Amino acid sequence: MICQNCNKNEANMHMKRIINGRAAEVHLCSDCARSLGYGEAFSGFGLGLGELFGELLGKSDDVVSGAYCPACGKYFDEIVSDGKMGCAECYGVFYDKLLPSLRRIHGKATYMGTKPSSQGGASLEDRVEDLKNRLSDAIAEQNFELAAQLRDEIIAITATGGED
Amino acid sequence: MCAKWYLGTGAQNDVVINTSIHLARNIRSFPFPGRLSLPDKLKVNGVIKNATDFIDGYNFNYFEMKTLSQSEVVSLAERHLVSPEFASSRDGRALLLTEDEAVSIMLNEEDHIRLQVMYAGFALDDAYRTASQIERELSGKLDFAFDDKLGYLTQDPTALGTGMKASVVLHLPGLVSTSQIAKLITTVSKLGLSLRGSYGEGAAAKGDMFRLSNTITLGISEKAAIENLKSIALQIAAQERAAREELFKAPVTEDRIYRAYGVLKYARLIDTNEFMELISLVRLGAVKGVINMDCAQIEALMIHMQPATISLSVDRPLDRIERDKLRAAMVRKALS
Ligand SMILES: [Zn+2]
Ligand SMILES: [Zn+2]
Repeated sequence: MICQNCNKNEANMHMKRIINGRAAEVHLCSDCARSLGYGEAFSGFGLGLGELFGELLGKSDDVVSGAYCPACGKYFDEIVSDGKMGCAECYGVFYDKLLPSLRRIHGKATYMGTKPSSQGGASLEDRVEDLKNRLSDAIAEQNFELAAQLRDEIIAITATGGED
Repeated sequence: MCAKWYLGTGAQNDVVINTSIHLARNIRSFPFPGRLSLPDKLKVNGVIKNATDFIDGYNFNYFEMKTLSQSEVVSLAERHLVSPEFASSRDGRALLLTEDEAVSIMLNEEDHIRLQVMYAGFALDDAYRTASQIERELSGKLDFAFDDKLGYLTQDPTALGTGMKASVVLHLPGLVSTSQIAKLITTVSKLGLSLRGSYGEGAAAKGDMFRLSNTITLGISEKAAIENLKSIALQIAAQERAAREELFKAPVTEDRIYRAYGVLKYARLIDTNEFMELISLVRLGAVKGVINMDCAQIEALMIHMQPATISLSVDRPLDRIERDKLRAAMVRKALS
């Protein structure tokens, strides 16, 4: 979806507001959202709602407004009040906003568990263990080229997985 | 009818009653249950039911919750096969259940799929192996909502990641009567676990039964979470045994056990709370060899004596007095 303000960039902010009694959808790129006074993502319709926007949408009398998920229509404010995500897409749409709370709840917010069958299945831990076993086999067989390769692989996946 | 899982005894059975593994999963292409229309919920139920049709070694019976009576539904909750929340609202929800009731899958509870595997005694590894085997089968047929950074996506953001809750139910009369529970609850919470009443919520844990579960699902693998739970559970079990040793040094403990046994054996009316309090003492005595009773029989009795399960056994609704009378009669029979 293209930004309604610049008609150029991909819109990644999706909001609904009531304008003259009718719900209107607003789709903006992050640059335009910022320049129109939204500041940080999901701060809702701030005071700085620009003239540009007024021209675009006509006079407004906000009743319901704020960021929402385009896939399921759930507002971020609703998620805050009932603690329930609307759909899987909500996580992507509200990711930045959610991350601090996720860290508060879960501590180190990096996934370490198993994956769906279609994506290999094994957990990071199992993959590292497997690589370590293959590494010690390679060293035992004096296959140092393979050993170096496996060591790099271990470093690579533990670095991405362990990052906070 | 084939034997239920709880009729077996398991490892560490003096303290550990049972083990369960819960896995939460959602299908990517549908919104979470809270935003699903009734027709879509039924569609989700159908899709999942089909996916379970050919899982090697597991035969699931399928129940639309709406087709069950209120007593049947509450009894499922009393047997810990569904959550109380699941029993409270039945529209669009369904249950897949194996004949031995060891594996149950709640459909459209908090998530599209809530898989539960429950075994007697201390069996975290076995329960996880079974749960993950079934999950793998489903994962091959359904596209689960999954994110590389966040893991399995759940309706409740506190459950995302592994979506796994592993629990053991512990019988802790020793730690309760030596007033060590409150401290223990605080300690385990710092270790990423929770300890709460298994029958009845909070501090008013009936029958001294407590559920110890992991609370962290992100930043830790399933295996690490299970190892963590395992080691804490074993430490608590060791503390419980030490507390029991102390208790039995006082003659009053044996006296209380025999009195509890006497009341259960001869009472004509008994409500759930009194029953749970007394059966806890009898279980303590049975483990010690003071009372000649099988632990598995006691566990089964605890499940069968819950209010809705009792009403279900006579196939008609009972008022409180009728139920207490029937409970007393059934307990007398079990103890004779
Ligand atoms: Zn723009
Ligand atoms: Zn959504």
